[in-house]
Formats: sequence, C-alpha cells, structure tokens
Amino acid sequence: MDWSFFAQLLLNGLVMGVIYALVAMGLSLIFGVLEIVNFAHGEFYMLASMLAYFLTAQWGFDYWATILVVTGVGVAVGYVLFEGLLLGLRGEAFERSILLTMGLSMVLQNGAVFLFTTNPHLLESKLSYQNIVVGDFRMPVARLYALGLGFAAFAVLYLILHRTRIGKAMRGVAQNRAAADMVGIDARAVSRLAVAIGIGLTGLAGAALAPVYAVHPLMGFNFVFKAFAIIIIGGLGNISGAAIAAVMLGVIESLAGGLLPLALTDAVAFLSMIAVLLLRPQGLFGRGVRV
Amino acid sequence: MNCLRLAFGSILIGLVASTAAAQSPIVIGASTPLTGPVSHYGQHARWGAEMAVAEANAKGGVNGRKIEIDFQDNRCNPAEAVKSVTQMLSSKKYAAIFDGLCSSAALAIMPLVERAKVPFIVANASATSIAEKSGVGGNEWTFKVNPTDASMLDALVAWLDKEGKADNIAFLGEDTDYGRAGSAGFESALVKRGKKLVMADYFQKGTADYTAVLTKIKAKKPGMVAFYLIDADFQNGIKQWFTMGGGIPLTGRVLVEQVPKEILASGFLDGTTSVQPYDVSVDTPANKAFVEAFTKRNSEAPMLISFESYETTNILIEAIRQSGDASPEKIRDALTRTKYQSMLGPVLEFDQNNLIHNNAIIFGLKGGKVVILGMSKT
Repeated sequence: MDWSFFAQLLLNGLVMGVIYALVAMGLSLIFGVLEIVNFAHGEFYMLASMLAYFLTAQWGFDYWATILVVTGVGVAVGYVLFEGLLLGLRGEAFERSILLTMGLSMVLQNGAVFLFTTNPHLLESKLSYQNIVVGDFRMPVARLYALGLGFAAFAVLYLILHRTRIGKAMRGVAQNRAAADMVGIDARAVSRLAVAIGIGLTGLAGAALAPVYAVHPLMGFNFVFKAFAIIIIGGLGNISGAAIAAVMLGVIESLAGGLLPLALTDAVAFLSMIAVLLLRPQGLFGRGVRV
Repeated sequence: MNCLRLAFGSILIGLVASTAAAQSPIVIGASTPLTGPVSHYGQHARWGAEMAVAEANAKGGVNGRKIEIDFQDNRCNPAEAVKSVTQMLSSKKYAAIFDGLCSSAALAIMPLVERAKVPFIVANASATSIAEKSGVGGNEWTFKVNPTDASMLDALVAWLDKEGKADNIAFLGEDTDYGRAGSAGFESALVKRGKKLVMADYFQKGTADYTAVLTKIKAKKPGMVAFYLIDADFQNGIKQWFTMGGGIPLTGRVLVEQVPKEILASGFLDGTTSVQPYDVSVDTPANKAFVEAFTKRNSEAPMLISFESYETTNILIEAIRQSGDASPEKIRDALTRTKYQSMLGPVLEFDQNNLIHNNAIIFGLKGGKVVILGMSKT
C-alpha cells in the first residue's frame, strides 16, 4: 500500500467528517440552548433530502436553488417545531423531551414510508457523476460542495454565536437561563431561533447530501446515531467541539475502514464515545460552558 | 321412527359439514416484508404469488375449492417473522406457509413449521443453509424452490473459471445471512477449483458510505469485485464505485435493474459477469406470456422476486391439487413428488434436500447493455 492510498483515505475521511458535522452541529445547538436531545433530528435530515430530491427531480430546481429552498424550509419547520412541540419542554422535562422527540421520529419516518415507500431514489443531477481527478486522487464534485457548505455553515454559525448580539444571547441562555431572563433576554425568542437554526442546518445537510447518497425514508437513523456519538465526544452542546469531533471521527472511521474489517468502523465511533465518557465525561472540548 | 329421524338428521348434518369443508377456501399463510427497507421486494413477492393464485382460481380453484393467500409483514426481521408465523400456525387454518423472503427470516421460520408439521415453501431466500437443513434427515417440512447461493455461485464461478477470470476476486457483502452465504458460496466454489477470494469484507445493512472500503478494494487490485448488496446499499455502493473510477469489472449478484441509467449507459460496468435465477428478457414463450400478464396486472414489469414467487406458488398449488384433501401432511408428501415445467425450460422436482435445481442465467454487460451469456444448471 502506497502513500496515495492513505492520502485518499484521509481525504475521504475529511469529507465524511464535515458531512457528519453538518448534521451534528444542529443537534448540538438545540441541546446547548434547550437541553433537549432531538431524536427526530435524523428524520428532519431525511425529509430535507427527500424534499431536495423532489425539488430537483420533479420540479427541475438547480443545486443552489435547492440548497436555499430546503434550508429555508428547515428554518421554518424549526420555528413551528419549537412553538408547537418544544416550547413546554426544557431542562426539568428531560424524559418527556426524549419521549416526545422519539415519538416524532417514528411518526415522521413511518409517515414518509407510507407516502413514499421505502424504495431508494438516486438524485441524478449534473453534479451526481462529476469528479475532480488529480493524479491518483478522485473526489466527486457533490462531496466537495458538501465539504464547502459544511465549512461555510460552521464559519457562519461561529460568527453568529461569537460576534452578534443574538449569538451572545443564545450563549447566555445556554449558560444560565435564569440569569439571562434577569438581564432581559427573551429566552423564548432565543430558543426558537436556536431550534430554527438547528433544523435549518439539518435541512442544509439533507440538501447538500441528496446528490451524494441514495434518498429513502430510513436514511436518517444511522446518521443521527453517529451524530449523537459526535456531540458526546465533542462535549454536549459545544458546537465547535462537535465540529472538530465530527472531522476526527470521519478521518478515524475512514482509516479504520481502509485498514480494518469494515464492520469495525461503527465500533470505532461508539468505542470512542464510551472512552470519552469514561475518561472525560464533559467531552473532549467540553468546559462546562455550552454553545 | 325417532331413531330413523335421528339417523337421517345426522347424515344431513354430516353432508352439509363436508360440503362446507369442500367449499371453504384453502388458505396459504405468507410472511414477507411489506414494510421496512426491502418492502419493494415484498410487494413483488406478493404480486407474483397473488397472480398465481388468481390464475388457479380463474380455472375453478383446486379440487373445487378456492385458494386464498394471506400476507403478513415480517419487515425482513427474523423476530417479526417468528411472530407472524407463530400467529398463523396457532390459528390452524393455514394449509402451508409461503416464503419469508429474507434468508434470516426463512431460517427463523423453519423450526416453527417443523414443530407444527405444516409445509413451508421458500421462494426467494437464498441462504444455502436453508437447503442444507432440509429434506431427508433434516427439516422435512421445508422446501426451497429458488437456487441456493452456493449452487448459483458454483454455476457463476464455473463460468468465470472457463473464461479465465476466477483467479483474483474480492468480495463485498452485507453482514447478514444473505451476504455471508454469498461469500461462503464464492469461497467453496473457488476452493473446488483450487482458488480463493483475495479479500472479503462485510458492512452493516443501511451503511451509506463505502468510500473507505472501496478505496481498500481498489488498492488490492483484484481482477473482479463480487458485490452482495441490495436496495439502497447497492445504489450507494454502485454510485460510489462509479465516482471512484471503479476500473475493475463486477461479479456476484449485480442488480442491473437498480443501476442508474447514466452509469449503465456509460459502459462503465462493461465486463461485469453476474448470475441471477431469472432475467425478464429470457426468450421463452412462457416467460414472454408471464411478463406481459404480470405487467398488465401490476403496471410494473416483473423482477426476479416476482418470478420466483409466481413459480413457487404454482408448485405449491400443484402439490395441493395432488394432495386431495389439502391437509398439511399430504401437501408435504405431494411436494416431494410434484413435477413442474419452469418458464426457464427444465422440468423441476425437489431433490433429497427438498431443493429444486432450475437453470441460472449468466449475464454480462457489453456496450452498456445487458447480454445473456448463457444458462447454467444450478
């Protein structure tokens, strides 16, 4: 095995990691602000991919229009989700939030199966089969776009959280809701925005990945469990930690998949999670301060 | 006088009861995935079986009785299969149990039908171990109509060996009874010819990304890659193989109907040699009639699963006819001596493992098109 083999694995892993990060950042943001573990996150990702598929395949939307529309729909769904279901759940209602989001996950998944059947669909756009080839390296253009969107999403989210008043308010609510209330921060509006951004990010992930993977109603399950492992490794509610953990996990999984039996790659993710829980329960980048 | 009335009444009741029994439908129980990731296949299994039943009923049924087939969902999950078949067997109204579709589900059903002494006829599940455990000295209530992975892969490897392509094959399959049976089938067919797999790897069903393992396979530089993937896994695998440049012909169970048209038409998969128990383009009058009738009935062309379910149900119906009273034991005995003219040519009958040996289709891809290279007995 030569260096190009390892380099290709590293490149694949980096792209995979950023793809994981796209899904995990939204999950982490919602947990950070609301202390709710959104078990329906995978289903929102699936619905976003389905919507992207139909927009492109049925209505002829191009890639960028699809990204914008699906992300926008994700933000709107996040607003509705917060106002309709999550408003009454916070902190002390942790068990109820788990039951509610798990129930929602089942309803969404089975609803999608009922409406669309489990037949997988491949989104066949101009991007689907384009590659960039440099020497021995190959990278599908759709994956490179997902990589770029992942970095852009992280940068924008980071700037929002650290350079804007609303971002500071979000961090304030995440760190101490009561104190945030006392200084006049509208915790409800901040939480609503956090859920909207979280689901919007998932919409972005679904739209960006629709040309990469087969689209079907059961596709969210595996991704969201990997995303749970990532946010635990990165530090619950810590978005930068989730992004870094996602990239690390993508690279480790790719190297493991290339060098070890493939069945062990999932074990790598969850063994890493167990190790972090045992050695550093607050996560690799957790400092007890969320978002 | 009272005694005469009593005797007459008893005879009348007996006659009415026996007439009612003669006219009550014969019910076949079926456990198949109607929801879950392979429900599309379950739907085709259902369509194939229901078409055979409808044709039999249109001809007046079997021995004066209509046939009914009652489908229950097993989600391709052994636990769900056990649940659905246990319920069916406890109701005592089913003359036989049909299919299971997934190998793991069929293997889980086998001990249940053996205990209940009800025949179980497998149409689609391909695990070799189903036949190995059936027939004389084993589970005498299980019958398998479709070829086993081992017998099909033996036919395929014989073909590849003849073409000088069996020396350096890598294997990628799902980590289920289906995938494991595929690699075991390849391994034993290759060992018989003094060869072995260059590598074998398995993935968890539902995996979306194969870039790491495909990079590993490419680095091994095998002569061919055997795919044992189905449904979304196959679509993801084949698309990623294409975007990674592939460059190595495929073999194994290549589901051509699921390959995106752009990939197929590009000629990227040219050189692929695969085996299937059936292809819709088989040029026999019986197959042409079947394809036409099936497409008209279901607005969708048949696939392997529908063909296997159709022929299997016909075999079961023929055995029920020969059994006379449609009791489970007599159906089982009738199955062992039933002969059936397949659309693929041969007259089929069960061997001592309760397994049928139909022809397998060896097909290849040339110029982006599927070409039947020949048939080989399994």
